[in-house]
Amino acid sequence: MKKRILVCMVFVILLGGCWDNKDINHRALPIAMGISYQQGNYEVFLDIPTVSDKNEGIQVISAKGDTISAAVNKISMNMESQVDLLHLKVLIVDKAFATLGLSEITASTIRSRHISPKTMFVICDEPLDQFFKGINNMKNGDGKEIYDFFQKNSGWNPEIAHTPVWKVFRSIHSYTNDVVLPIIKSGESTAIQSMGSGILRNGKMVSRLSNEQTLLYNVFDGNSLDGKIEVMGKATVQIVSSRIHNESKFVNNQPVLNSTLHLKVIIMDVIGVPSIEVIKTELQTLLRRILDQIFKKMERANADIFGIGQHYREDLPRTELAEWRTKYLPQAKINLEVKTTIRNTGNLKLK
Amino acid sequence: MSAIEEVNSHFSTFPDFVCQKLQIASESFTFVGLKSLINFPQTMYMVRDPLLTATINNLMVIDVFAGLGQPISVQSETIIAEIMDGMLVAIHDASGMGVSIYPVPQPNSRTISLPTMENSIGGATSSFNENLESNITLLRSHLNCPELQVKAYNFGGNVKSRVILCYMEETIDPILLDNLTQKLESNQDLEIATMKELSLILDFSRYSFVTHYMTYELPQNAVRAIKNGKAVLFIERMPFAIVLPSIFSDLFMSEDDMNHPPIYAWLLRSLRFIGTLTTLILPGLYVALVSVNPDVLRFELAHSIARSRLDVPYPAIIEALLLLCILELIMEAIIRLPNSIGPTITMVGGIVLGQAVVEAKLVSNLLIIILAATTIANAAVVGFQNTYALRLFKYLLLFLSAFLGVLGLLSGLLILCAYVAGIRTLGVPYLQLIRAKGDSYE
Repeated sequence: MKKRILVCMVFVILLGGCWDNKDINHRALPIAMGISYQQGNYEVFLDIPTVSDKNEGIQVISAKGDTISAAVNKISMNMESQVDLLHLKVLIVDKAFATLGLSEITASTIRSRHISPKTMFVICDEPLDQFFKGINNMKNGDGKEIYDFFQKNSGWNPEIAHTPVWKVFRSIHSYTNDVVLPIIKSGESTAIQSMGSGILRNGKMVSRLSNEQTLLYNVFDGNSLDGKIEVMGKATVQIVSSRIHNESKFVNNQPVLNSTLHLKVIIMDVIGVPSIEVIKTELQTLLRRILDQIFKKMERANADIFGIGQHYREDLPRTELAEWRTKYLPQAKINLEVKTTIRNTGNLKLK
Repeated sequence: MSAIEEVNSHFSTFPDFVCQKLQIASESFTFVGLKSLINFPQTMYMVRDPLLTATINNLMVIDVFAGLGQPISVQSETIIAEIMDGMLVAIHDASGMGVSIYPVPQPNSRTISLPTMENSIGGATSSFNENLESNITLLRSHLNCPELQVKAYNFGGNVKSRVILCYMEETIDPILLDNLTQKLESNQDLEIATMKELSLILDFSRYSFVTHYMTYELPQNAVRAIKNGKAVLFIERMPFAIVLPSIFSDLFMSEDDMNHPPIYAWLLRSLRFIGTLTTLILPGLYVALVSVNPDVLRFELAHSIARSRLDVPYPAIIEALLLLCILELIMEAIIRLPNSIGPTITMVGGIVLGQAVVEAKLVSNLLIIILAATTIANAAVVGFQNTYALRLFKYLLLFLSAFLGVLGLLSGLLILCAYVAGIRTLGVPYLQLIRAKGDSYE
């Protein structure tokens, strides 16, 4: 018995590999990784907040390689500490690369196990070197803006799409699910500027949504949020809760989706003296118009960003489902009904 | 040589030996005893009074003499044993009859006073002391029911000591009682002066990490244990009650809780449970998170920990061991220091060392906070015997965390659970709440 315990202890010590552990202060913890692709070569940018007494600034390091891990290894080799991608929060690709297709890097991200699947996927509207130069500006703050920008408990806004790597991976391998990725660039007065979002089909960027459309996309996709909508020239309302009810059916081999969107809003601003009824109807027509725009884009791009196909999975055999995006989605008829409740009008009364 | 002469020569070098002749009418008596154990003037007065009364009333002096105490055979060994036991031995010179008289004893103990090791917030504060009789008195006054069983055992060959076993017939677990009485009865030739010797008699494992018994200074704690089906032992000259067996809930529950409103009692117990977990897990968790699994931390926290460890030269495990060692030294040093010097050590250890060690960049700020929390949490547990086990177990978790990170911490906790689940005291499993119930395992 004693011998057995001793053997176990020796194995624990020998196989634990504790001498390979690196303390936290000897690891570089990048929060953002930029990847661009030019002529068969990846260029990787790492955004590493400097660990120093004064807690200032970030370090942007870049390297080129045939694969992403080769490039990261090159950085790790040249740095004084080991690069540890486990704390990576944002993955940025440039627009050209996104149009070319992200399936390869998504697969390698998921496969490597060094990057969390919860990492945000982001498209950059300008060349990456320029972008990182822009956010690496000392007057912008402590260098963690890119991280805070996408944190739901700090800088994130409902106008910004919120898509982690695993959702992109799912969309690449699913017949009925596509995603939108936020598009950003370095701003002038702020570090980062939101430029709407890009529609990704099978990992390729095929179309874009504006900021306003992204907000409505988020609302219709069922993300609870408190976005503000301007009702053309009448008022600004804030969405406090939203609920969607979907009914799917096939009519003459054509998918029909009856959607009811229940919105609860509060009135923030009014211009002139519109009545509550006017605001309500205006809001409903506005929402319908924007969502119709999004649906049109969707049909043109053959990208099912709302996952409408999910409702028809049980009606179609798998062979048919493979053609969902090209055959069925363009024919899909979406009847949207918006029901709004104005919960309150602030401290002032409306007529 | 007569027996009394042999006794005299045996005690000839003893400064406290008294051999006194007493003449009552025509009869002469010899009284022998140790004046360090016997209050002689009062005892002699107590003895002479009935003898004098007998002569005045023309009674048989010898009959009255025999009624003064227990008749003994007049042999030197018997007399010496009685004297060493604190009795007064009287011998009628003419007939050679011997009587062992219970004397007025010399006070050899402190009076019933406040406890020194335990605190009571809501209950009685008189505590057990070294005197066996006054301990029983205290116990009886807290539990004045006829069901209370009190059994005496004499242990030891040369050095004698008495052990008193108290329990309640209807509540005590029969397996526990059987095991206990059997062990006590079969080992009566062994000496019993320390807890180690008690453990030997009761056959506890020498390599046990968890205590098998609790010691209580406050009688209400002992009474609660008796009511919950445990046994209480009193050993002569031990100023506390030994409660057998100790079970898991003794870590968290104290009789004093019963004096608080139930909600607060449960909150206090949960607090102690949290304290136990904190003191076990926290140092290991620090090492695991800092050196093996930093990915578990939020980024902000990881960054600020990294900053606090900037110039620290050692890996996290060495850093933690270094400071833990100093903390253990402080805890050990403070036990034996006089009260007047104790605060100095606290100040030097806590403020000067703690501050300096951070400024010298030997350890990180966060570790100081963590180890302070660990040490404080360690003291939240009921009963100081239990703190030893927790103090030791945290090192197991610390090392496993250093090897395997969070996984190691978890497996360490699993090992602890398995170990604790396997402990049995006199046939009673350790992992029980409130009632100590035996099982037929042994």
